[in-house]
Amino acid sequence: MAQEQVGQSSTGREQSWLPRWVRIVVIGRNPKRTLVRVMVLIITCCVVFKFILLPIRVEGISMLPTYPDRSVNVVNRLAYLRHEPQRGDVVSIRFDRGDTNTLAAVPPAGTWLKTPHVMLLKRIIGLPGETVAFDHGRVLINGEVLDEPYEKTPCDWNRPPVKVGPGEYFVVGDNRTMPWEGHMFGRAQRRQIIGKVIL
Amino acid sequence: MKTVLRIVLIVALAALGAWLWTVLFPGPEKVIHRRLLELARTVSPPGDESDLARLAAARRVAGYFAANVELKLTVPELGQRDSMDREEITQAALLARSRGGGLRVNFPDVNVNVAPDRQSAVADVTVEAHLAGGHDRLLQEMKFTFRKIDGQWLITRVETIQTLS
Repeated sequence: MAQEQVGQSSTGREQSWLPRWVRIVVIGRNPKRTLVRVMVLIITCCVVFKFILLPIRVEGISMLPTYPDRSVNVVNRLAYLRHEPQRGDVVSIRFDRGDTNTLAAVPPAGTWLKTPHVMLLKRIIGLPGETVAFDHGRVLINGEVLDEPYEKTPCDWNRPPVKVGPGEYFVVGDNRTMPWEGHMFGRAQRRQIIGKVIL
Repeated sequence: MKTVLRIVLIVALAALGAWLWTVLFPGPEKVIHRRLLELARTVSPPGDESDLARLAAARRVAGYFAANVELKLTVPELGQRDSMDREEITQAALLARSRGGGLRVNFPDVNVNVAPDRQSAVADVTVEAHLAGGHDRLLQEMKFTFRKIDGQWLITRVETIQTLS
């Protein structure tokens, strides 16, 4: 049995068409260990890029000039584990409100694990309990003008005050040169917020 | 070693059997999911289509709906009707297809919830529409209510959902 193994090994070495140094560079000195490393790397990547850092591609013009069309970014799904979303944060929002489905019995954990293919990318400007209004393009929070350094273009939106309820956030895109009718903005529920955009 | 091999074989066979069972006898969620994907495909017309093919496709679209469909649409572009019958759906599908090819409809996110009696279900769907030549896409969240009628899952109610209120 031992002789057989030795024989096979020496035959394999003779028949190998790759130089030894190439094999070491590509596979490593210990192929079994390399295989385990590759498996661990694949599993880690799957977990990280599915449940923690979500790669996204921005499509559309609603977040111009901060995020151009077809730019690539990453969403941190764990950003709001320790604290609640803050004003000015750019967040990804799921379409599925979850509260409209009378038959839905999806637990919050199940909703969290499910990654949608299409999401909205918006900036939080209003926090729970606040009143948000637009007056000649300026954002008014509880009647006071909000300083928005990220707003580079003029805007003429006028919208009546909206009360943001508990567990809700008022979100809007950065591109307010477009007419408000063509821009998706308003109150999003906390559970719709998937995470914070990193870059 | 033999025992381990036997156990692995039994587990593999059980997994294969379970998979075959789901393929041969799919659950309502899977059936509804498949029907929605077929509907999206049928709604998206190819570039060049003859009148006969257009009519056949419009009738196929109507086949996914019940005899009378309740509508609750908050998007003005989709109309302001409360209900539609199959003939009206066929006409609407025909009209949409005759406006020229290039409309591509996708349902990228579908979430189906079946009622405990397994005779009705609600599907939350993100509708994505690309127009020919257009750079932008239209996104709308919708809710389809299904009912099992004569062994077939048919849409009985269509509702648009406001993602941001």
